[in-house]
Amino acid sequence: MLEYRTYEQIERYLNGEMASEEAASFEALLRTDARLAGQVQEHKQLLQTMQKFGQRQSLRQKLNSIHAEMEAQHTPATPSGWKVFWNRHKQTVAVAASVSLLSVFGTLWSVQQLKAPVQQQTARYVELRREVERLKQTQTAIINGIQDATKPEAPRPAAFSGTGFAISDEGFLVTSSHVVEGADSVLIENEAGQKYKVTEVYRDQIHDLSILKITDPSFDRFGKLPYTFKTTETDLGEHVFTLGFPREDIVFGEGALSSLSGFEGDTTSYQISIPLNPGNSGGPLLDDKGNLIGVISGKQAGQEGAAFAVKSAYLLQMINELPETSGVQPLSLPKNNTLSGTNRPQQLKKLKDYVFVVKVYN
Amino acid sequence: MKKSLYETDEAIMEGIRQSDERALAHLYKLYFPMISHFILSNSGTDDEAKDIYQEGVIVFYEKIKSNSLELSCQIKTYLYSVCRRLWLKRLAEKGRYAVKVDDSESFLSVEEDTQHHEEQERQFGVMAEAMAQLGEPCRTLLEDFYIKMQNMQVITEKFGYTSTDTAKNQKYKCLQRLKKLFFATYKPEV
Repeated sequence: MLEYRTYEQIERYLNGEMASEEAASFEALLRTDARLAGQVQEHKQLLQTMQKFGQRQSLRQKLNSIHAEMEAQHTPATPSGWKVFWNRHKQTVAVAASVSLLSVFGTLWSVQQLKAPVQQQTARYVELRREVERLKQTQTAIINGIQDATKPEAPRPAAFSGTGFAISDEGFLVTSSHVVEGADSVLIENEAGQKYKVTEVYRDQIHDLSILKITDPSFDRFGKLPYTFKTTETDLGEHVFTLGFPREDIVFGEGALSSLSGFEGDTTSYQISIPLNPGNSGGPLLDDKGNLIGVISGKQAGQEGAAFAVKSAYLLQMINELPETSGVQPLSLPKNNTLSGTNRPQQLKKLKDYVFVVKVYN
Repeated sequence: MKKSLYETDEAIMEGIRQSDERALAHLYKLYFPMISHFILSNSGTDDEAKDIYQEGVIVFYEKIKSNSLELSCQIKTYLYSVCRRLWLKRLAEKGRYAVKVDDSESFLSVEEDTQHHEEQERQFGVMAEAMAQLGEPCRTLLEDFYIKMQNMQVITEKFGYTSTDTAKNQKYKCLQRLKKLFFATYKPEV
């Protein structure tokens, strides 16, 4: 019970219930007994805390009742659930919103990044296509680009060459208009070595046809042309042949009429299965009987055995228009076909004098 | 009117010094809207506003009670400053950093006052815990004697002890237990 005694003493001391002498002696004891002093200190703190705690609790109660009273007075506008929700979660919502925004834009950005090379590829593809287009154009136009020999003194060789053939006795010829495009001067020469200077008198860009006229004073007349022009369409599968100058010597090519329409469904020309090379452009296309059915115009790039020839009907149409548009006399077209009924070598023999290489200088 | 009684800050403070509850109530009602607005516009709720405001009022109230308040500004500014400080602390505890507070009032530094208050709150928290762990009838016994300052005689009768000595003995035992519980968790800051 010693502790209890001490405890009572402490309590009495703290409450000031001790008589002055007793308190003095207790204080003296405190100074010597550190353990007792500590106990007193602890006790004091405990009681103080407890008391203050009690006061605080009552104060809080008071404030709470004041608050309740105030709210009752105001019949407070209890904020709507949304407002409370918003206040409580404002920051969370903001973070969520920014995260989602970030991810959206991030995704867009990265997709953009991923798309960039693809776009480049398409661009390259387009370019490639353009190149193919150009390639096709150059290939389609079967012009023999003659390498420029570097001899300035020597007469300049022709820059391009093609093929042409006579269409009337008076010295008119036809060739592809792309052959003589941009020409300064044009010369023709046949297998027999006859050379003439010609000028372009008419050009039909749409059908890729040009009419040339021999202007050489030495030229007299062709004489009777051995072939006639066919006005109607030829049948599919008809044997056809051509003569042309893909090189210095005349070259014979033979095949069949493989389609009644030309490049990309062009109805003004035929598709023919004759192997053709640059320089064949403007050559005559004849059928077995020696009727002229078309003018070689080009071939499809990258595809073998698909060449095209403008139908003779359009050539005739152009010839008929010629007097009006160019002010020349109506042409006397050949009327008798001397090729029919003869075999191919015979036909060629008769024909080759009327087929010319067209040399273009510019 | 009744309100005119506490028109000035001095009147309110005087009222509180004299434990006039109406003065406290008047003060409380006067500035609650301001603090409520502040808390609500800085990502707080109504409950939090009430909580913080009451803390602020308690700080102010106890300063006056202990006569240690040297108010160099209006009560309004003082309350605002205290509540602002407390709210910032609360926000930081909630882990919301980068808090930029919209200030609608001027404020002053009340670091010391709030720190003292927080220390006390901590103490009271431990005390409440200890009291709760103490259990009945010890808790009521101690409350009655030390807080409500009831007479030992009354307590003896209330709890049905045979004599005041028994009651005293009981009180002693309870106090010893409380002491243990309290100091087990509470370490006064050095």
